[in-house]
Amino acid sequence: MLVEFAMMHAWLVPLLPALAFLVIVFLTRPFEKLSAIIAVGSMAIACVIASFAAYGIFTNHEYTKTPLVYAAKWLSLGMPGVTDSLMVHVGVQLDPVSAMMMFMVSFISTFIFLYSVGYMKGDPGYSVFFAYLSLFGASMLLLVISSNLLQMFVAWELVGLCSYLLIGFYTHKISAREAAKKAFVTCRVADFGLLLGLLALQITFGTLNLVELGEKIHNFQEYTSIGMLTLIAVLVFIGPIGKSGQFPLHVWLPDAMEGPTPVSALIHAATMVVAGVYLVGRTMFLFHEVESAMQLVAVTGAFTALFAATIALTQREIKRILAYSTVSQLGYMMLALGVGSLTAGMFHMWTHAFFKALMFLAAGSVLTALHHKADVWEMGGLIKKMPITGWTFVIGGLAIAGIPPFAGFWSKDEILVATLAEGHYVLFAMAAFTAFLTAFYMWRMIFLVFFGDEKPENHPQESPWTMTVPLIVLAVGAIGAGWFGTPWYNVWAEWIYFGEPHHGPINYGAMLLSIVLAGSGIYLAYTMYLKDAQKKRARKLAEWFGPVYRMLYNKYYIDELYLWFNHALVDGTARLFYLFDLYVVDGLVNGIGTFTKSSGDGLRVFQTGRLQNYALIFFLGVLAVAVLVTFTGPSAASLVLGGVK
Amino acid sequence: MTPFDFSIPINPSALTLEMLVAALGLGILILGIISPKGARSGLGWVSFLGLMGIIGVAITMWGQSGELLAGMYLLDNYALFWKITFMVAAALVILGNMRYVDKVGNQAEYYSLTIFATLGMMVMASAGDLMTLYLGLELMTIAFVILVCLRKTDNKSVEAGMKYILLAGMSSAVLLYGLSLLYGLTGSVIMLDISRIIAMQPVSPALVLALVMIIAGLGFKISAVPFHMWSPDVYEGAPTPVTSFLSMGSKAASFAIILRLFITALPGVWENWAMVIAILAGITIIIGNLVAMPQTNIKRLLAYSSIAQAGYIMVGMVTASEAGIKGVMFYAFLYVFATAGAFTVAAYFYNVTGSDELKDYAGLSQRSPLMAAVMLVALLSMAGIPPLAGFVGKFYLFKTIVDGYLWLVFIGLIMSMVSVYYYLRVALVMYRDEPKDPSPINVSGPVTVTLILTMLVTLIIGIYPGPLSEVVNSAAHSFFLH
Amino acid sequence: MSDWAGVFIFFTVALVFGAGGILTSFLIQPRRANPVKMEEYECGVPTIGPTWVQFRTSYFLYALLFVIFDVETIYLYPWAVRFNNMQIFTFIEMIIFIFILIVGLWYAWKEGALEWK
Repeated sequence: MLVEFAMMHAWLVPLLPALAFLVIVFLTRPFEKLSAIIAVGSMAIACVIASFAAYGIFTNHEYTKTPLVYAAKWLSLGMPGVTDSLMVHVGVQLDPVSAMMMFMVSFISTFIFLYSVGYMKGDPGYSVFFAYLSLFGASMLLLVISSNLLQMFVAWELVGLCSYLLIGFYTHKISAREAAKKAFVTCRVADFGLLLGLLALQITFGTLNLVELGEKIHNFQEYTSIGMLTLIAVLVFIGPIGKSGQFPLHVWLPDAMEGPTPVSALIHAATMVVAGVYLVGRTMFLFHEVESAMQLVAVTGAFTALFAATIALTQREIKRILAYSTVSQLGYMMLALGVGSLTAGMFHMWTHAFFKALMFLAAGSVLTALHHKADVWEMGGLIKKMPITGWTFVIGGLAIAGIPPFAGFWSKDEILVATLAEGHYVLFAMAAFTAFLTAFYMWRMIFLVFFGDEKPENHPQESPWTMTVPLIVLAVGAIGAGWFGTPWYNVWAEWIYFGEPHHGPINYGAMLLSIVLAGSGIYLAYTMYLKDAQKKRARKLAEWFGPVYRMLYNKYYIDELYLWFNHALVDGTARLFYLFDLYVVDGLVNGIGTFTKSSGDGLRVFQTGRLQNYALIFFLGVLAVAVLVTFTGPSAASLVLGGVK
Repeated sequence: MTPFDFSIPINPSALTLEMLVAALGLGILILGIISPKGARSGLGWVSFLGLMGIIGVAITMWGQSGELLAGMYLLDNYALFWKITFMVAAALVILGNMRYVDKVGNQAEYYSLTIFATLGMMVMASAGDLMTLYLGLELMTIAFVILVCLRKTDNKSVEAGMKYILLAGMSSAVLLYGLSLLYGLTGSVIMLDISRIIAMQPVSPALVLALVMIIAGLGFKISAVPFHMWSPDVYEGAPTPVTSFLSMGSKAASFAIILRLFITALPGVWENWAMVIAILAGITIIIGNLVAMPQTNIKRLLAYSSIAQAGYIMVGMVTASEAGIKGVMFYAFLYVFATAGAFTVAAYFYNVTGSDELKDYAGLSQRSPLMAAVMLVALLSMAGIPPLAGFVGKFYLFKTIVDGYLWLVFIGLIMSMVSVYYYLRVALVMYRDEPKDPSPINVSGPVTVTLILTMLVTLIIGIYPGPLSEVVNSAAHSFFLH
Repeated sequence: MSDWAGVFIFFTVALVFGAGGILTSFLIQPRRANPVKMEEYECGVPTIGPTWVQFRTSYFLYALLFVIFDVETIYLYPWAVRFNNMQIFTFIEMIIFIFILIVGLWYAWKEGALEWK
């Protein structure tokens, strides 16, 4: 009964937080406590509905084949009976993938909201923050349950807008404003590609409905050529490149740290960035048909994973390290999708959501305790004063490094096995090496922050329960979320797959390799950053590889490259255009403007206020119309010109 | 069977709406006579509630169809949609301007004439022959003439009334000339018969002349350039509520009848008038927007903008298709709300400050955020900025003419951009400039309701045009069923 | 073509007729100015006081009311002639018609249109 209700009313899940947004903005903004309760409460109820709906989906295997879709007509262009009229629906599509996402997003969001209650205490924009958070959650949930790509795109843009609002939440900080702008602009650039892709899909296939598209693209030869389809796939993929922070549009993501920490957690774990991965997963039917596009996805993913991991090795700010690790993990997910394993990609997204949210929130807890001192080198030994934060963070670290039985191990293993099974040995090597790097930089951070000597100038204190409870809950998730998909007992693959469910053979070799890599990464970090109290080796290493170190520390100078590009090329061209503009276009435009305005002024002259003039103009008008009718109507014109009629 | 044969039984229930509105108007007049001066401000509520009741009745009549007196009077969803639109417009004007009217005085005359004008519009919407058309048109026009000079002590108002009656009389004469030519050529005043007879004859010059006269006469009512000269003066001089009703009701009704006349009676000579309408639409859009730019008086600015809006609506007539009719109706409906919003703000502002000058709107966003917001939404909707209703409306209109009249689409697009300039000028003054007199403006209850309603409708239609679109579809479909 | 020739001739004649009159009088008029000629009225009495006097609107109102009831008679007359052949509905219609007119008269009366002040 309840399950039935939840399944048929899944639209409530995004609606409730959206309502919370409206209520907070318009009604309860002056009442901070109430606003927080409304935001958390609505998200919690949404989470309950989502979990019931997910229960309904995950108890009936029918839904893996035919998703539950219901929609309302939103906009119809054209007349009834006309075939090429455009019909846009707003609808819900529930299948295991979206049900899983819906549950995950609402679940993680609930705890992040709860965490924000404590974290944002005393902020002047407390209520507004919760309003934005609610809208953010609502947009993401809308994106998840969308039954067509246009609706998804709307939600996608809303998510982008909310991220802009939230990253730039500390409007008094210039860096926050800049970061918000960067995020927005970068994503907009990518969205343009996506929009073009969607337009091309609509034009080619006449629909943006996911189910219909899936069927039509399966027989795409009837509609278009493989070349066109490749172009569409690449265009569509540009959107996720931006939103999921894939190389080369990853630059906005680390800067997004400027927002409040819960926002970082929300962006990095449950919403925003996984939207890109989700979109690729959702349009798997499209990529599946285009071999080259799949390769593009896989290579982009693997490269991003490795690339971001190397940058993370040298970063000093706690949230920045986490940010690059997110970029890297997203690369993993893309890699999984690129090698055709929806199962592995979604699985990693699922486990990643838990441990990454956990680590961000724990990082936020650390930052609050240390009054927003972010450099990991200035921390140390925090685990004694902040046991809950510390140990949960350690759990997160184990999970992301890929130590069994923590969640990250299983999903990462799944990706490695899938890559290997498809025969992408180079990609496999890159992914495996990334796993080693991940373990190393993560534990470098953990050893520096939580272990070693305490710094006397720090006076850390454990955070209040609203902040620690989410940590504990998420830590449980970070431990257990992966147990759905162990090689021996893989429920996950039975439910979430593309095409046919596939059980690869249990690959003990890959498993062993990833354990060894993770273990050696952690051990290396241990020897360099904990055992060696003076960090001599680390320094020496940095000196030896000075240029490399600086290059990594400066993130391969990509930002500078863009900046340079911006200055040299964009500004240069802009300069050129400016001059052109100043003398040619401006002259023209001002001319037109002046002409327009003066013609307005000139035409006013006719408005004399004299009745006789008006009457005269009226009759002149009649005359003019008479002339017009004579010369525009075909039959009349032919009459005058002596034609036949 | 001639229409004047008294032996044809009329089903009076078909005319329920018209009779109710007439009764309401008379009732208001009688109430005005018998009630003491102090109690007359209550007449506004009586009219408003009465109209709301009749709108309720009208909605239940959705789906009716038929003809009275052999086609003199047509009943269909098309007419009904327009009737509801007129009544909604009248109700909005009444609800939003009660205090203004109390200040002017003559409440009984004001309300009853507003309702009689509405009745005239409703007759126009259902008119199936030339006589009924003219009857409705004159009923509306005469009511408006009196309304325009309601502020008897204000020279501007009287001057506007004088101009309006003389020019309207002139245009009526021209229209009548055209209509009588049409009658002379076809021997019938019934539109359906005319269309049949015209289809059988070759196009004669006299018919073309009739067409010219009709276009001129009705073009005057929708203030299409070059027949628009009256409207800025009259709009500025008339009391603001009347201006508002004039620009939405009168215009919408004229569009209703133009569509009926041209597409029911004159589709046979479509080739002769389509291009003229297209050219007039283009000129109207251009001139309306251009001359709106230098205006400094908000009512004059709105007057020119409404000329431009009429140009946009004319675009829907060009193809004489179901889609075009749909576009016109859709746009007219949302135009009513945007106009009501903008003019209610203007009227209330005048009420409080005694000024219509744009510069006095400085800092309105600080003095009354609601008024500023409604003005902004209304103007942006008229400019056609998504996601407001005006965007969808313009989309529907221009979609019909993409094939064959691309130049007109370009004119529309470019001039929409130009229009953003002067609409945003108002927004800038309201939001950027500091107010000279920072005292807040308290908006009274009914006005608040009107403002919020217009804003909400403008927003909702913009975001979710589906339902209205379907209603309009059905109405446009019924147009061709006679 | 012949049809259009008719229209053309019509417009031409109209134009010539109008313009011709003005032109002729312009050509043949005597151009001798003297003080008497420059007065507002060449013949008659010079005006006393401002010429911009207002007439009583009551004249107009009386005339208007008269016209209304005059027109009413035109409607009533054929109705009365055919009265025996009519249904009850037509009778009611005419009652309503007269009632509406009476409301108008009532209004005019109440507003003082019938008083000569």
